[in-house]
Amino acid sequence: MGNKRKDDADEGAKEGSKKRKVAPSMIKNKVKRSIVYAKLKHEKKVEKRKKAKAREVAEKRALELGEEPPARKIPRTIENTREFDETVCKPDDDELFVGIDADEFSPLFKREYTSKILITTSRFHSTRGPAFIAELLSVIPNAHFYKRGTYELKKIVEYARNKDFTSIIVVHTNRREPDALVIIGLPDGPTAHFKLSRLVLRKDIKKHGNPTTHYPELVLNNFTTRLGHRIGRMIASLFPQDPNFVGRRVVTFHNQRDFIFFRHHRYIFETKEIKESSSKTKTEKDEKSSSKSKTVKDKKSSQENVIVRLQECGPRFTLKLISLQHGTFDTKGGEYEWVHKPEMDTSRRRFFL
Amino acid sequence: MPRTSAVESPGCPPLRALSTDVLGLVKVVEGRAERGAPQVVERWGEPDPRLSVLASSLSIHNSKPILAVARKTGKIEVLDAYNGKECASTEVGECGTLGKLSDLKLESDPIVGLHLFRSSALLFCTENGNSCLRSIKISDAAMDSTPSDTPSSWRVCGSGKVACCSVDGNEKYAVYGGKGVELGVWDLETCNKMWTAKAPRRNSIGLFTPTWFTAVTFLNDEDHHKIVTGTNQHQVRLYDISAQRRPVIAFDFRESPIKVVTKDPDGHTVYIGTGSGDIANFDMRTGKSVGSFNGKCSGSIKSIARHPELPVLTSCGLDGYMRFWDVKTRQLLSAVFLKQHLTSVVIDATATRESLVNAGGEITTAGVPCDAPVGDHTNNPSSLERKPSKVKRQQHHDHEGKRIKLRRQEIAT
Repeated sequence: MGNKRKDDADEGAKEGSKKRKVAPSMIKNKVKRSIVYAKLKHEKKVEKRKKAKAREVAEKRALELGEEPPARKIPRTIENTREFDETVCKPDDDELFVGIDADEFSPLFKREYTSKILITTSRFHSTRGPAFIAELLSVIPNAHFYKRGTYELKKIVEYARNKDFTSIIVVHTNRREPDALVIIGLPDGPTAHFKLSRLVLRKDIKKHGNPTTHYPELVLNNFTTRLGHRIGRMIASLFPQDPNFVGRRVVTFHNQRDFIFFRHHRYIFETKEIKESSSKTKTEKDEKSSSKSKTVKDKKSSQENVIVRLQECGPRFTLKLISLQHGTFDTKGGEYEWVHKPEMDTSRRRFFL
Repeated sequence: MPRTSAVESPGCPPLRALSTDVLGLVKVVEGRAERGAPQVVERWGEPDPRLSVLASSLSIHNSKPILAVARKTGKIEVLDAYNGKECASTEVGECGTLGKLSDLKLESDPIVGLHLFRSSALLFCTENGNSCLRSIKISDAAMDSTPSDTPSSWRVCGSGKVACCSVDGNEKYAVYGGKGVELGVWDLETCNKMWTAKAPRRNSIGLFTPTWFTAVTFLNDEDHHKIVTGTNQHQVRLYDISAQRRPVIAFDFRESPIKVVTKDPDGHTVYIGTGSGDIANFDMRTGKSVGSFNGKCSGSIKSIARHPELPVLTSCGLDGYMRFWDVKTRQLLSAVFLKQHLTSVVIDATATRESLVNAGGEITTAGVPCDAPVGDHTNNPSSLERKPSKVKRQQHHDHEGKRIKLRRQEIAT
């Protein structure tokens, strides 16, 4: 211990009259180390609390005096310290818009025809696979399930093209658990291969709702780069482009750090007394509704208020893009537009979507 | 702590490259600093998906580079590679006067190969095997090109789809290959087929791989006997016309189809690009890999161009990036994002180090007088070594900065 202590002492001497501090990791005795560490941690905690309190007081005072409260600090996250990416789409890019107009999905978005989806599986599937597909069929309007049989995927693509399908979704199952999704655009659209994880089926979601057959609204979040745009358009092309707002169904694809989170909700407007509503919405997990209820609370008015409740229905899963291939499914002769390679993973702050 | 600074790329020597993309744009990328990042300096044409460029070829005419681009509509334009002015154009349909090509359906029969000859002639080949050789009149320099407008056309194959074609260094022979089309060498003077390849034997379990060539090039500029091809079954083959009809060397490379094979001026190295974005170079004397080019290439490689003098390789593909590589160290020198799916890239070697580092803009705007050909520099290697003085360079840097700013504004508007 002695030698290391000396080093630290030198450092301490430089700092001046400050009390000599030893990093807990330098202490060899475990009991002493844990005591020192616990003390250090407690100090930090106290300090943090103090800071928070001071901030709160300052905010409150500013509010009382009618001044502008001090700006809130933005925590540094992996996302807002994202590496600079030149492929992020810019609104003043004429080539981008021309390119979008010319891509494979544009006739669908121009409503020249409506989407028609074929859903099939890998060669063998059981248990959660069929259950997942049943829920997928309820999420995506105009989707048709076809048994895979022993057909090759290329043959299925050909068949679907002749039958005027606009997309094929293949649910791949491994060890009775769906683990991959292949989305093929037709007639010559791209093929995207996703890894599927964290699948929660409807019946496992507490207080889930049962969706209606209305066309859902679609929410696509954070698809910023060229590749992201393309994936976003591909996902959007699975759904009809004229949502029935009466149905109040929302399908969300939220991209965060290259993971695409799928959620399916139904929202409801309620006119209720404040007391009831606040107590009821508290139980709701969803952030949106809780924030709404807060605003309701703040108002404290006696009049009836309209609040929005969200109810989750349908499956919940996460997708991660593995590859995007030009043209329809062709693993042997296909050209990839984007394929994930290990050498891309040199930074945690680099995202592709 | 997050890394706030981007990783420095080594930067590439001054050079000029032109890329074409699916929106029919031709973009000029120039590296002007001694070791700086190349930038887009010019964009020719308006973005229009119908005018998508399928193939391009660069040649030197009157010591001036000219670029031929084949568009989806069936039009082949010959551009001045300095300022993008169209100096000649031809339609694929026009070549059909001889009868065979008259019933062309352009949508179903796109151009797959294009070559611009030094003698200002054009060779193109369509997917269904219609090949046509015709001379063109370069309007800018009317004094020498003879308008002998007698296109000679021939059928490369009866069935199957031609996927690639290439012309040898002396521009006397052309080689074609494709899906269901065996490799064939044609004599361009007589327009006759002089050699065809034979499919490789069945393998050890008696399986026969169907013919599907996806890339082809002559190995040597002087010698038209050696041909390197890439197949859809990710196989690279070396054919020797003088030896046998089956491949001399054949080996597999990775898992995805070979999309590009480009020769090196040294006469024995080839660069190979695949459908999943791998680039590697091979020594074809032994068939051994020299090494691969690693650098986050995420999209299929569409085209590779090798600078004739500098040790620089340019690649482009579906990921929208044009990448510059050092041939010796196989390091990524620089990458330029060009937004669309790129279809081809060519290097304009007539733009010398001096002309780029020095008067940056003057080449592109004023053009080059015919009396002082820029092409002379290419024959004079000593001129490459000379560097302008520091003060001069500094001035030109400023000048260049302004120019680029102006360009950006232009593009923005």
